[in-house]
Amino acid sequence: MSAILAQLLTGVAYGMLYFMIAAGLTIILGVMNVVNLAHGTLFMLGAYIAFTFINDELNFWIALLLAVFLTAVLGLALEKWLIKPVYGKELEQVLLTFGLSFIIADAVEWIWGTEMHTLPTPDLLSGSLSIGSTEFPLYRLFVVLVGCLLAWLLWYLETKTRIGAIIRAGVDDRAMVSALGVNVGLVFTGVFAFGAALAGLSGVLGGPLIGMYTGMDNEILVTSLIVVVIGGLGSWKGSFIGAIAVGVIETLGKVWFPSLSMLMVFLIMMMVLIVRPQGLFGREVA
Amino acid sequence: MKKLLFGAVLLTALVFAMPLVLSDFAVNLATEIYIMAIFAMSLGLIMGYAGMVSLGHAGFFGIGAYTVAVIGQHVANTYLLLLLAVVMSGLIALVTGAVFIRTSKFYFLMITLAFGQLLYVLFWQLKTWTGGADGMSVSAVMNFGFGEIVSPNGLYYVMGLAFVISYFFLHLLVESPAGKITKGVMENEARMSALGHNVRVYKLLVYTLSGSLAGLAGALYAYFNVFVSPDLSSWMFSGQVMVMVIIGGVGTLLGPALGASVFIYLQNFMSTYTERWPMIMGVLLVALVLAGKGGLIHWLQHGKRLLVSRKRTGEAVSQQTVKKGEAVH
Repeated sequence: MSAILAQLLTGVAYGMLYFMIAAGLTIILGVMNVVNLAHGTLFMLGAYIAFTFINDELNFWIALLLAVFLTAVLGLALEKWLIKPVYGKELEQVLLTFGLSFIIADAVEWIWGTEMHTLPTPDLLSGSLSIGSTEFPLYRLFVVLVGCLLAWLLWYLETKTRIGAIIRAGVDDRAMVSALGVNVGLVFTGVFAFGAALAGLSGVLGGPLIGMYTGMDNEILVTSLIVVVIGGLGSWKGSFIGAIAVGVIETLGKVWFPSLSMLMVFLIMMMVLIVRPQGLFGREVA
Repeated sequence: MKKLLFGAVLLTALVFAMPLVLSDFAVNLATEIYIMAIFAMSLGLIMGYAGMVSLGHAGFFGIGAYTVAVIGQHVANTYLLLLLAVVMSGLIALVTGAVFIRTSKFYFLMITLAFGQLLYVLFWQLKTWTGGADGMSVSAVMNFGFGEIVSPNGLYYVMGLAFVISYFFLHLLVESPAGKITKGVMENEARMSALGHNVRVYKLLVYTLSGSLAGLAGALYAYFNVFVSPDLSSWMFSGQVMVMVIIGGVGTLLGPALGASVFIYLQNFMSTYTERWPMIMGVLLVALVLAGKGGLIHWLQHGKRLLVSRKRTGEAVSQQTVKKGEAVH
């Protein structure tokens, strides 16, 4: 029983990590209609940047902040110079962000090499909490906490703030929001930078959990795409549910059917699609 | 039809004459180009004639390649193996496609990507059959009933012929009523639906054909490379073939084939100088998206139009303009 509980926590922790990544992906998708295929690569970049800072004897938390800041700045630059010209052109966006993912991933390999690295767990969170006979690693609990906080923050931003209102309105009728005097371009840039920051944040937080290696960007991108598909296009609530489901199924699947865990996640996605092609929380799309 | 036959004869003659002037290295490169051209045409078919952008097409390539590698250990018959590769990839395309085509653009893209990556992981994890990450060597040897084909020139002719046949098969398909309806669906799904066509059936048809053609390319590749690995199904490879299609130009059959030859040539050329090929490819792709208008085939057509319009009368020019409008769609 206690083993299953510990596995469950691991699953939920992974799920929260997937949520943090998928949230960035799905917000960009929902608000700007851009599939950012470089999202997984920004995740990887965040982890590697933090790795460098920590190797320079910097505190984990400062490294985290710096990595988030740098990925956000990179996201800002990418949006301003490269993504802006291809708004509304779906194929172009896909190809462009795909090309970017190649460039960034290859740059990471160039700078940091191909060997595996892992981020150290911060000292504060290296222990574990025992409840009854079950040991819960603190760091995993912490990731779950951050995921919940992020979900709350997104809910708060969406429903209680002016920015949230503008974004919700912008999704429905971009031209009208623009006519009301809102600088939609600026909002888009902000949303993209925010999404990139989320990717960077989850990269650093994921570093101690899943390690760092070349090709991790693809794996994480595919997982988060599955999460987004299960949850529904552009719905971060759907991503929240979908991510936890994927995390738990994947982790438990690894225990019971080691070679088929990925297959199970995929089958669940297929099943969701057969029943609800628009995803669990997605709106009907034309 | 006469024009088509003439084209077929001309293309075949060209393919068969090439080894007379090419070096051994170039023949080998051309063989690979033919295979990739078939693969690129299969993706170009669904992208350019049905508006379906798949990022998991390498999955079918991998299925074809692993069919020859795995089943080829027990079955020697080349005809049977190629048929199996085509049928297997076609069947999987049919089943998955039936679910996938219910979704809209972004969804389709993401789901195909996830699907391709799933196959990649499967080939990776089914270690007892596929050799896992180390890949496996192909023991099957190509034999069409008149001796084993192992020499570079022999393989060249087979792949060249396969390319010509695939091209004309696709040509007939897109010119057929079904092909025209599919193109109509891409341009205006609601209208074709209102005209009484079952839109999904046509989409599924081209998706399935495209999948089985990609499977054929994969099977040929297994014979050519005598080694297969999960990388054949990775999204990196799916992306590469998409780049081939984009370089060449979407909306024609020869465009993707042309793109494949440029891509493979560039890859070979660049990799002798630098390891940073993915970065070069990425930059190329970004530049093409931001500055390139329609890919090589459209530049060529544009150039041809400029030449032709000087010679011909106004009527011919206006016909050309209509064609241009079609190509841009």
